[in-house]
Amino acid sequence: MAFSLPLLQPWDSQGWKVKIRDRERLEPPHVTVLHRSRAWRWNLRTGGFMDADPPPGDVAREVVAVLVENLARLRAEWDAMYPSNPVTPREADDG
Amino acid sequence: MAEAVFLIDHEEKLAKHFAALRPKVLRSPAEVREAFETHWRRALWIAPAASSMQRLLAASLQGSRKGDQRLLVLGRIEGARRELLHALFRFVVAREEGVKLLPPDEIAEVLASPQRDDLFIGGAVDAADRVLVLYRGNLESLVVPLAWFARPGGPRAEIDDFEVTDFGQTVRLGPFEAAADAILYEFDVEARRRAKQRSIEKDASFGGALRRLRLQRGLRREDFDGISAKEIARIERGEVAKPHADTLATLAARFGVKPEEIETF
Repeated sequence: MAFSLPLLQPWDSQGWKVKIRDRERLEPPHVTVLHRSRAWRWNLRTGGFMDADPPPGDVAREVVAVLVENLARLRAEWDAMYPSNPVTPREADDG
Repeated sequence: MAEAVFLIDHEEKLAKHFAALRPKVLRSPAEVREAFETHWRRALWIAPAASSMQRLLAASLQGSRKGDQRLLVLGRIEGARRELLHALFRFVVAREEGVKLLPPDEIAEVLASPQRDDLFIGGAVDAADRVLVLYRGNLESLVVPLAWFARPGGPRAEIDDFEVTDFGQTVRLGPFEAAADAILYEFDVEARRRAKQRSIEKDASFGGALRRLRLQRGLRREDFDGISAKEIARIERGEVAKPHADTLATLAARFGVKPEEIETF
């Protein structure tokens, strides 16, 4: 089952979503912030946005704050869904 | 959007949905005919229903020049008319049997998006051939094996409960959700290049690509017959300037891609 982080109002009713879906690009581990037809990948290792386009500055500041507040939970959800590519790489995988 | 956009038959609600595309609304057969003649090289046509198709068909049949004409029909088309439209237009997306499309307001936003090539507006499950046919915002199709919609320990993808959602960014099969960008990253090399260009982190090395592809496929460094885990690690760290052709061939065979495709990941 895909993971969806509950957002408070008014962000929820404005169509903001935070998801980890069952098939994602896996490297690096991330959550996706969705708003209508736009999406931003947010790196669960570094806590920063991964793509220059669309501009990360377009994400509501309050939504970013929710990501930061829930970082531990989001990392745990990712690791549960994708144990072969955990947020903290296994020693063996570091080469 | 580069091409001209035409909306057949004015419906107040529909015109409002598609306003961002600045479509020219065509109300008479003469207007449709003229648009076909003027914009025969390339145009996007939007028709609300089969009933509005008659004038479009009449005009297109009269035109002798065939360009890149793309047609989106929001209603159902069936039978011979369906075959005719597919013969006349380069790409046709309609609510044909089994096809599920986004709601009109979401389709409109996808079509107006600069990223429309990387968003889906709908699709259809072909259960017999075990594939999902997805329609992109440019009306082109992408065929994805249903077997791809799986995750170890994840929910089962239910093919009888398919929809595209989240303004074309998610494909849902029952409780199973797949990201549109993950599908495109896997199955479309051009979309993969565009995605890499958007990335802030620019690890364009072969080793970086190899690592991303390996993890994307859920493989360990030990999973490559004929290449040691240490060697894979050295390549991923960039300690091997140029992997030997035999090594590349082994890697490519394990991933199911061409050797030259590895670095596109």
